Amino acid sequence: MSNTAEKIAPFEIPPISLPKPTDSITHYQIQQFLHLDAYLLDHHLLDQWLNILAPDLRYFVPVRQTKERKDRDSEFSTKLGHMDDNFQSIALRVHRLVNTGTAWSEDPASRVRRFVSNVSVWETDVTGEYDVISYLLLTRNRFYQEDYTLLSAERHDRVRRKGETFELVRREVRMDQSVLGMPNLAIFL
Amino acid sequence: MATQNGNANEDYAMLRKANPVLSDGTPIADLFNLETREVSLSTMYDPELYRVEMDKIFAKVWLLLGHATEIPKSGDYVVRHMGEDEVIVARDRKGEIHVSLNVCPHRGMHVCTAESGNAQVHKCIYHGWAFRPDGSFVGAPLEKEKMHGDIYPKEKLGLKKARVQLFHGLIFATWNEEAGPLEEQLGDMKFYYDIMFGKTHGGMEVLGPPQRLTIPANWKTAGEQAACDGFHTLTLHRSQFDIGNFGNISDTMEEFVPIMQGVNVADRGNALRCISAATTFASVIGSGEDFNKMSDDERLAKLPPPGIVNAQLLAEMKERLSPEQLHVCAVAPPQVGNMFPNVNLLFIYAPLPDGTLGSGYVVHTINPRGPDKFQWITWFLCEKDTPEEVKDIIRAVAVQTGGTSGLIEQDDSDTWPHMTEAARGSWGRTETLKYQAIGGVNRPEGWPDKANVYAGLSKDDAQWHWWLQYHELMVNK
Repeated sequence: MSNTAEKIAPFEIPPISLPKPTDSITHYQIQQFLHLDAYLLDHHLLDQWLNILAPDLRYFVPVRQTKERKDRDSEFSTKLGHMDDNFQSIALRVHRLVNTGTAWSEDPASRVRRFVSNVSVWETDVTGEYDVISYLLLTRNRFYQEDYTLLSAERHDRVRRKGETFELVRREVRMDQSVLGMPNLAIFL
Repeated sequence: MATQNGNANEDYAMLRKANPVLSDGTPIADLFNLETREVSLSTMYDPELYRVEMDKIFAKVWLLLGHATEIPKSGDYVVRHMGEDEVIVARDRKGEIHVSLNVCPHRGMHVCTAESGNAQVHKCIYHGWAFRPDGSFVGAPLEKEKMHGDIYPKEKLGLKKARVQLFHGLIFATWNEEAGPLEEQLGDMKFYYDIMFGKTHGGMEVLGPPQRLTIPANWKTAGEQAACDGFHTLTLHRSQFDIGNFGNISDTMEEFVPIMQGVNVADRGNALRCISAATTFASVIGSGEDFNKMSDDERLAKLPPPGIVNAQLLAEMKERLSPEQLHVCAVAPPQVGNMFPNVNLLFIYAPLPDGTLGSGYVVHTINPRGPDKFQWITWFLCEKDTPEEVKDIIRAVAVQTGGTSGLIEQDDSDTWPHMTEAARGSWGRTETLKYQAIGGVNRPEGWPDKANVYAGLSKDDAQWHWWLQYHELMVNK
């Protein structure tokens, strides 16, 4: 009994520092919300997708750099993103994609599938708003390509209750690549 | 790749001389038809040609690696590419910037494995050989045992160093001991680059680390386009008209196409589109005032060049630039173009959500990663003395326009892979790129006699210059 993990580890093991997650019903509802988000995007229902975005949305995909472990806190730029949008600029992107017929970066459209998993939900200081972390594995296939370009990331979302459902208030997508493996982000993450 | 009586190494040695011949018997010179202004599409994929380019172009010319404001403090460093070589760009204690090959002279390990950070000593994680920011060798562990051997003195065991030159804060480097100063490479175009990069006392700064992504295309697809391909704006970027970013859509169907009007300038493969301020004024501000009747001063007050966002910066610009340069800014400021071989520039006006005119500086390098792949590096810059709250707006608007997700540039990066894919086919490779829409030299009255000047509708003249410079380095040198 003396061989507990604490005793055999070469250093003192700190306790898990994550806050307590929210209740399972809210968790389920928010998971369904994320599935809806992915469904609308995967099925090119971009105009409908705008319904689940809050008017005060901030959408940010920070640039990442490979850093030494001691500098890991500064891996993600707090300033510069691959995407840096608000509701208005997202709506313009959608307008271009849906209504012009000349948005060539996505015409013909990529075949994209967004696998969303490892969802964690926490309550926040604001009633009805939740911090949500999810993992994203995105496959993208285009034109004649026989293989997929992959993008894996962690999404840090803030979602807000809106009637029976939710709306997305903030999305920060922390990609696992420092050099993006696809020629553009003409798609949403 | 070996010919009948030789081996691959001998063939390769042949390729490094003037008038090189590819192993299928094609002289590189035959990939061009200088009379009809055509270039073989095979250039957009050929792996053998790519090796020659690495030696004859990327190992010879000055290459852009970044901006001094990325490494402001002593010991700051970033890792970048020159051709396929990784280099450390670092600032020493005296504030000098050095560029060193990121390859340990001991056993070939990368000395820096992180991409940016701060260190006064870069110690190779393999055997511990250590180097200063200036590339010089500090020593190896077990000093007394002379683990670095006793054949070479320490002075000979530093990282291989490139020559460095700064241009308005832009960091350039070359491996070529014989290359003239950067100014020689810029030629007459320096006059215009000085306008773009040197118009305020504080100079420019980066708005963050660069975006990086990989494009499965030959580097020249982006390289030649950057040299004033104005024509593609109408079709590839058609959606910009459709959503109202480039002025009135009906205009694009007329012979007089506002966005294509201006003055293209080119020298030594460097080219810029100076876009008509009058048409920008009409399409973006559209106040109804007659821009053509205004003096240069009035024009600059109404429509300063991109990045000049307040009266203070405008006053500085007037102090720093010559009357000729100010005239260029008033008539048609340089906005889009390149620096040979692999820099792409986009200085934009962008209408802001509040109706005012924003702007942004987007600078790319096109870093080859094989005949069918390149890294697309994007820096966003602004004048250092731009008010902080305006910087935040500029950053967001520029990111929405250029780079990874930019509404303009996402269409470009999706096009280039097709060209390289097309160049792989037996028949595709026999097709040619055509630069036959030529306007000829045409310098408007009052426009300075700097570089080759092509006023009017943007045609193929400047882009052809890019290929002539490529031809010069690949065939004649």
